[in-house]
Amino acid sequence: MVQYGDLDTAFGAVSDPTRRGILERLGHGDASISELAESFDMTLTGMKKHVGVLEDARLVTTNKVGRVRTCRLGPRRLENEAAWIERFQRMMDDRFNRLEALLERTKE
Amino acid sequence: MTQTLMRTTITTPTDREIRIERIVNAPRDRVWRAYTEPALIAQWWGRGNKLVIERMEPVRGGHWRYVEHGPNGVYGFEGRYREVSAPTRFVRSFEWDGMPAHVAIETVTMEDLGDGRTQVVITMQMHTPEERDGFLQSGMQGGMDAAFAALDRLVEEE
Repeated sequence: MVQYGDLDTAFGAVSDPTRRGILERLGHGDASISELAESFDMTLTGMKKHVGVLEDARLVTTNKVGRVRTCRLGPRRLENEAAWIERFQRMMDDRFNRLEALLERTKE
Repeated sequence: MTQTLMRTTITTPTDREIRIERIVNAPRDRVWRAYTEPALIAQWWGRGNKLVIERMEPVRGGHWRYVEHGPNGVYGFEGRYREVSAPTRFVRSFEWDGMPAHVAIETVTMEDLGDGRTQVVITMQMHTPEERDGFLQSGMQGGMDAAFAALDRLVEEE
């Protein structure tokens, strides 16, 4: 059973477009904070903050060797398409159930 | 928690599309009204969350905007109508505040099954696979809101 608080942290982490971009970028390969800062046209401090949020959500891990901090995906993998679809389905099903319930109770 | 069988089908015919199908146990005219009359939309589209219908002009060129007040935040959905053919079909643009200017085209068709039921088919057409995934994730957010609400109800019952 997943913990709601834990999921909430992950959702908070991926609600930001830059952080989704970072995850996508890291999906293509590991990158240092400064490389990420450069590709997203951000300051090192700004990028460190974003990576920190992703790290707290365990979507990203970092490892410092010398002066370079390398970021990579994991240990927790963002939900794959199947999991997104499953949740999307649950939302739509809930919506349609409520539509049906409304039409049922307003029947003439 | 009780796991009930879901009656809504979701498929992804292409990497830029989401297709949603559901048979609704009500006649087509009433389903159409529930989709186009603000007072009715507000009662179901938000899945139990407060939903404010800020604009609803279901005519070609008309605007729509719904604002959902979920337990984890307030977010809007909006767009314009491209085509409205009552009571069978409408096509509108669809944007979520969480992904501004990533515009999907939503096509909703309603087929009268002749036995008092209506088949509703929704297709969401996106420009890119990334947008498609983003929309699925917005569903994830919504799904979580519903889950939280369910959790709250459980907690209240105890």
